Amino acid sequence: MAGRWVQPSSWWRAMLLSGRCSSRLPSTGKGASSRHCSGTASLQKTEADPGVTEEEIVVPRKKTWDKLAVLQTLASTVNRDPTAAHYMFQDDPYLIPRNYFESRLFSLSRESGKNAAKYIVNEFPRFFEKDIAEPHIPCLMPENLTPQIEEVSEAALKERIQLRRVKASVDMFDQLLQAGTPLSLETSNRLLDLLCFYGDREPNGEDQSKQKEELEESEEEVPDQRRRKGRSRKTSDFIGPKWRENNNAERIFNLMPERNAHSYCTIIRGMVKHGACVRAHDMYTDLLNDRHTADVYTFNALILAVPEVKENYIERWELVEDLLNHMVQQKVQPNLLTFNAVLKTVRKCGGMGKGISLKILREMKALNIEPSLATFEHLLGIFYKSGSMEMIYEVMDEIEGKTFVARDPDDDNFFVSAMRICFSLKDVDLAYRLHKVLETGDNWKLIGDAQRQSLYCARFFSLLCMMEQLDVILKWYKELVPSLFYPNAQVMWDLLQALDTANHLEMVPQIWKEIKQLGLSNRPELLEEVLALMAREIHPQETQMSFANCAADIKSIFETRERNQVPLGWTASALGNIAILFSRVGRIQEAWNMLELFKKNNRVPSDKVMNEILTCTKQSNTPDQAVELVQLAAAFGLPTTAKLARRVIEEFELSEEQKNVLEDADSQSSDSDSD
Amino acid sequence: MAAARGCLCSCARPMLPRLCVGLVAGPGSLLRAAAYSTALGVGSAGPSQREVAASRRSRTSQIARNRRVPGAPRTEKMAVDQDWSNVYPTAAAFNPSSVPLPIRMGYPVKRGVPPPKGGNLELIKIPNFLHLTPPAIKKHCAALKDFCTEWPTVLDSDEKCEQHFPIEIETVDYVSAGPSVRNPKARVVTLRVKLSKLNLDDHAKKKLIKLVGERYCKDTDMLTITTDRCPLRRQNYDYGIYLLTVLYHESWKTEMWENEKTEADMEEYIWENSPSQKNALDTLLRIRAAEKITEVTREELLGSEMVENYKTSVVVLKNGETENNILQYKESVMKLLNLRA
Repeated sequence: MAGRWVQPSSWWRAMLLSGRCSSRLPSTGKGASSRHCSGTASLQKTEADPGVTEEEIVVPRKKTWDKLAVLQTLASTVNRDPTAAHYMFQDDPYLIPRNYFESRLFSLSRESGKNAAKYIVNEFPRFFEKDIAEPHIPCLMPENLTPQIEEVSEAALKERIQLRRVKASVDMFDQLLQAGTPLSLETSNRLLDLLCFYGDREPNGEDQSKQKEELEESEEEVPDQRRRKGRSRKTSDFIGPKWRENNNAERIFNLMPERNAHSYCTIIRGMVKHGACVRAHDMYTDLLNDRHTADVYTFNALILAVPEVKENYIERWELVEDLLNHMVQQKVQPNLLTFNAVLKTVRKCGGMGKGISLKILREMKALNIEPSLATFEHLLGIFYKSGSMEMIYEVMDEIEGKTFVARDPDDDNFFVSAMRICFSLKDVDLAYRLHKVLETGDNWKLIGDAQRQSLYCARFFSLLCMMEQLDVILKWYKELVPSLFYPNAQVMWDLLQALDTANHLEMVPQIWKEIKQLGLSNRPELLEEVLALMAREIHPQETQMSFANCAADIKSIFETRERNQVPLGWTASALGNIAILFSRVGRIQEAWNMLELFKKNNRVPSDKVMNEILTCTKQSNTPDQAVELVQLAAAFGLPTTAKLARRVIEEFELSEEQKNVLEDADSQSSDSDSD
Repeated sequence: MAAARGCLCSCARPMLPRLCVGLVAGPGSLLRAAAYSTALGVGSAGPSQREVAASRRSRTSQIARNRRVPGAPRTEKMAVDQDWSNVYPTAAAFNPSSVPLPIRMGYPVKRGVPPPKGGNLELIKIPNFLHLTPPAIKKHCAALKDFCTEWPTVLDSDEKCEQHFPIEIETVDYVSAGPSVRNPKARVVTLRVKLSKLNLDDHAKKKLIKLVGERYCKDTDMLTITTDRCPLRRQNYDYGIYLLTVLYHESWKTEMWENEKTEADMEEYIWENSPSQKNALDTLLRIRAAEKITEVTREELLGSEMVENYKTSVVVLKNGETENNILQYKESVMKLLNLRA
């Protein structure tokens, strides 16, 4: 779409010219402007009216800004659209994901598509050479991922390190060593960095089969780790690559003729990252023996590794104090990550945590380090576990109105943990304050991945369902779904309870529609709850009609057999409630079908069901059916058969034969096979 | 190929049904479908075929049951007072499930209405301005105010702008959807200036007008220079300014050969030394001679009032004929030749 930005009116003429006069065209601008201005000035003297005095025209200097400033400003005028799913999805009723599982599936498939495309572009660069993008877009061009230098040399090693090829660089290093070429310390250090960062595995997990073998091997090695306390274990312990004994990194480290502090630090950090914490501490002792000083990142890693090294709380804290003292001795300045690491370790020190963490906070303030969200999260973890509630209020006072950036990898746990605490405290105001903090500035970027966001929103919404009025709940529902999260069965259950509390049960069919759309309609507990709420009391007629339609819908769900799925089993309450709902609106035939289903599925209807159906039969005034009903009740062996029979006799006009039948059924409570 | 055939089918008129059917039966997949439908339709061909048909039917019905059903369009969930600029923040194609307006567009079928918005290609093809509603523009302007500088307070009317900044520069920027932001048409620069603002005397003005030729418009007294011979806009702007400078200076100079200007080169009619003057004077002299009046000099004759009158009317007439001019000429000729009757 071409847009002409012609400015024909004179209003813009001077603006354009002033644009020219100012600093944008430095080469000609000055000359041009002076010439124009002087030209016009002289003109004024000759042709201007004698009445007009000459005035100073101050042409302001043009402001300059960087390339993205205008776009960012315009982006700040746009907010979230509450009815739309995430912008990465195609905005079409057929293609929008409807629940959490689908959204994850779609986003993963999108990423996988992007990766596949990138792979094709890099594998066949000869098809992607034409570059029509202007200005040039480097990330869309094929990348050269294969090493170019073939001969055995240090430059080749450097190239392989740069391309992050772990195995190839180790091979090259071995070849160089065999050939006897001396390697500079810097290159060796860089090789060590690469190996320690990736834990002696390829970056993309390309050798997947090799990984599986190694996992089996390493499982014998670390039985003691598994016997540790369950709470401190994370799934990353099992999923991440483990540090093997004497792997390439250690081997190369031992082969290095000279090592400096950086080598030691890299090895220590690699060991801690991949779980070999005790060895990391041993390596640290080696470093001290070699009279090197570690840097702040190494100390951070060592502090994080303390809970794996010591079991006893007091010993843990003593080790941490030890390390901190070493830091002071070696004159290493601590940073935010140091303090966060200390707090994280202190979290695992049981009851001692509270006093220590407050001291840590004071130290941070003294050093003028701004606490990040991870700091607050650790604090909440320490204090909340031991049962003191005030901490969250103080934390909330502290963070209100501030914007945060991601400074620590654990920052994204904060909002989820805080909302969990709000939920258990049942404090809605606190939750609102927390949500406001989330919405200030760019803080939403710190909510974490989709799962965390979904957890946060689910807890928030559940809390609201428990504590707030129905219109507020529905407003928040519209606000959060589907743009921020997709409710799960628990959330919908809470919402139904909220409807019940607010006595607005006529909205149940609407909520049922939502449940169906979210794909939660195969959850038996939700179905039972919906039916129970609808069937509990008698409502005005239109509501009953909508309830009956809803019930028919649910019935069809019970009955459809999806391919490869076991159909839902009918329960007595479900059948009964559906029958009640049908009979209340006078759909007698369908109610009878339900009774048939009772028999077919070996379930026994309750008294309420039979009474309702009887009332319905009375409306349609079919005595035969009433008699059949009593016979059915007798067949089921219901205790109220007698009462039913009496009711039928009282309320219906019956023939003699029917009366006999009824008395038979009345007298005996066992099966009667009379007509 | 199949797609082209499909298109032809869809826009073929009803008077070509045979042709359509022939085309449909061509492509392989459609042929299979046709065979499938006839197998089901016949039905009386025996139990085996019926079984096969039944199993196919159950499988397709299972597939049909498992088929994903499109959800309700999200226009139903939109609040009436929602912020529209959040739904369409940038230029985007029309999306019928996001725009809650009942729009119809397209050529109506006979005795019908234009097709609705669902799946309507006509609505998607055209450019829309759903992202530039007045509230959105207000928001954008408020946000962009920080990038703007203040307008000089002196320039509060058009005339003042013209007075202080007589030269207008016009450039065009082009935006299109595509991988490249360059457009060769964007290098064109147009320069406009009123000649009355330039310091030119009569000769200079005439020379300038002769030099620029078509670029001068007499009615608006505007000189327009359009340059596009350089590859960049900045270069074209410099060249335009350079041209203006050169024209100005050249028009002030008088070359040697300019005094060879003939009457055919003259822009306007000058009475002195014209055949009309000669003829008029000759006629008057001969009248005087015939009437035996004392010799009157040419200068006296030239200075006399009726000759002046005649001169003005001839000049005016030559420069543009109107009804009044012709009457004036008639008057002056009658006075000159003393034809008052």
